[in-house]
Amino acid sequence: MKPLRLWPQRLVGQVTLVLMLAVALEFIGSSILFENSRIYPNRNNQVQRAAEQLVTAEAILETRPEHERIARAAGLSSRSSQLEWTPLPHLVDRERSAERKLRDQFRAAEPSLARRELRMNAEIDRTLPRDTHLKVALKMRDGTWLTMKTKIRAAPWAVLLSSVGSAFILGLGVITAAALVLRNLSRPLRALAEAADKVGQGARVRVAETGAGDLKMVAQAFNAMQDRIAGLLQTRTEALAAVGHDLRTPLARLRLRAGFVSETSAREALEADVDEMTGMLDSLLAYLGGQEDPEPPRRTDIAAIAMTLVDDATDSERIATYDGPEHLPVRARPLSLKRAISNIVENALHYGGEAALTLSREGRMVVLAVEDKGPGIPEAQLAHVLEPFHRLDSARARNTGGLGLGLTIVQQILKREDGELILRNRPQGGLRAEIRLPAL
Amino acid sequence: MDSSGNGLNALQRELATAPVAPTVLIVEDDPALRTLLMRLLREEGFQPLSAAHGGEMARVLETNTVDIILLDVMMPGSNGFQLCRSLRKESDVPIVMLSARDDESDRLIGLELGADDYIGKPFSKKELIARIRAILRRTQGGAQASQPRGAQQMVFAGWQLDPGRRELLSPDGAFVDLSGAEFDLLLAFLSSPQRVIGRERLLEMSRARISDASDRSIDVLVSRLRRKLAVSGQAESLLRTVRGIGYIFTAQVERR
Repeated sequence: MKPLRLWPQRLVGQVTLVLMLAVALEFIGSSILFENSRIYPNRNNQVQRAAEQLVTAEAILETRPEHERIARAAGLSSRSSQLEWTPLPHLVDRERSAERKLRDQFRAAEPSLARRELRMNAEIDRTLPRDTHLKVALKMRDGTWLTMKTKIRAAPWAVLLSSVGSAFILGLGVITAAALVLRNLSRPLRALAEAADKVGQGARVRVAETGAGDLKMVAQAFNAMQDRIAGLLQTRTEALAAVGHDLRTPLARLRLRAGFVSETSAREALEADVDEMTGMLDSLLAYLGGQEDPEPPRRTDIAAIAMTLVDDATDSERIATYDGPEHLPVRARPLSLKRAISNIVENALHYGGEAALTLSREGRMVVLAVEDKGPGIPEAQLAHVLEPFHRLDSARARNTGGLGLGLTIVQQILKREDGELILRNRPQGGLRAEIRLPAL
Repeated sequence: MDSSGNGLNALQRELATAPVAPTVLIVEDDPALRTLLMRLLREEGFQPLSAAHGGEMARVLETNTVDIILLDVMMPGSNGFQLCRSLRKESDVPIVMLSARDDESDRLIGLELGADDYIGKPFSKKELIARIRAILRRTQGGAQASQPRGAQQMVFAGWQLDPGRRELLSPDGAFVDLSGAEFDLLLAFLSSPQRVIGRERLLEMSRARISDASDRSIDVLVSRLRRKLAVSGQAESLLRTVRGIGYIFTAQVERR
């Protein structure tokens, strides 16, 4: 859609132009309607005119001899009303409210009809616009009858349309204009909102720089801001990762030195400290490096990974079980998938005392559930435990180690494989962590 | 630098008098870590030599026969990977990479370049010594030492094992995770297929990875490996028990 040269570039210009068009439309629309309402005068005017015509015709016919009257009456007829003279009445008066009302209107319009016999017969059209077909018979002073057939147009229709209609057209015009403006306005704004939402989750999103001129500037500014933030984050991340790597050499020295400590308990404590620091470094580096993992996704047996981890836990005399098939392939980066499952299993063992792994297929998903018998996670905290550096208050005891990155890393890894992590408290107590990945 | 150079000369003299102990060359740019490693290896009965960078390593290799090299990855100048590649062009000496980057892609690069093992920092004394002993056993033990390294793939019953990358692929091409001990055990089976292997021999071949070595732990390991190698429809297990003796790997192994 290439905008016309006349289409203004700025939002204010666009709104103004569209509103001007709406006003013009309303102006044209209502003047056409008012024109119509002039063609169709209101009901009272029509009755008045009919009454006048009737009285005039009577006055003319009275002066004529009877044999001329038939022809003369026909001559007085007009396009909208036919006149007929007859010696005897051929109209029976209907005494319904419609007739009574019309007779009163006739008499009010022509006071000379006040004491005359006036037979009325009104048929109202069933279909819209409900015109009234009226037959009026006037008893002339010599006892003969003058009958008039005419149509009273239903005036309320025109009156109604001319007032309501113009409001309607105005409304329609303004709504159309508003819709046009909003469509133009909201598309880039919505894109911007979506982009801003995604940026928070770590993705880099380019906003299309389209729309009104000032919105385009917003999009450009947004993109530039994103680049700056990304650059800033990149520098920080690299610095942090470099420190992480550099710390490993002194840690290696520390661990080797620990080997020379002759007192067993002191040596073991030293080694445990080094292990804890190493674990923190590992999780920090995994979290920081998660974005640019060079490992390509491949066909990976998730069952084998689960079995290895369960066996490892069993070897270190902890309680872990595996229930599921011997093989179940998914598409994933095997090492990061193993890290993810390992984090979940470690959590279960640490907080829940034991880890029961079950692997199954649920439709198009492969589900690896890890259940423990620990205290679970308070419902209010469930959403927050996935945030980086978040730790449950009850877990803040110093013996937990770690940086509060474990679950964040799991989620990061699974997201990359189009999978997800679902945490749920089990009704019978304990936590159920589900790793869901698309099945092959 | 100077002090370590003097130490080196002293060590060379020492080496001449004690030819039995395996010689380990440490290539590491961090002086403190280098000294620590020297001390540790000496205590464990090795003959340690050291070099701070690639140039020094070349000089040491010119004048000494070395049984194993510990090579740090991150060094100024030419890094451990480059040194490893150039070493492999002319020598089969066992190489253990030491790296501060314990990420798996580094590990794979190292192993693909022909390193025999890869240890992430920080490692414990016990771990390091166990790995060095395992490699020395493997390479000095005769038959296996003559195996060409790296690229050779082993194929059996549709499965594919890459000893260099330490990877096992199932018949449908999926990566199957094995623990270190399971991998070493499988490698032991594949090196003598269709022959009965006793439990003691199996233990010996994969001892580096098993902390409490016993007949029972071999049985557990074999049953775990069996489960990972199980394929529906394959009636007989690839690992058959020979009562009272040990196990036999039933499939044919093809090397590519």
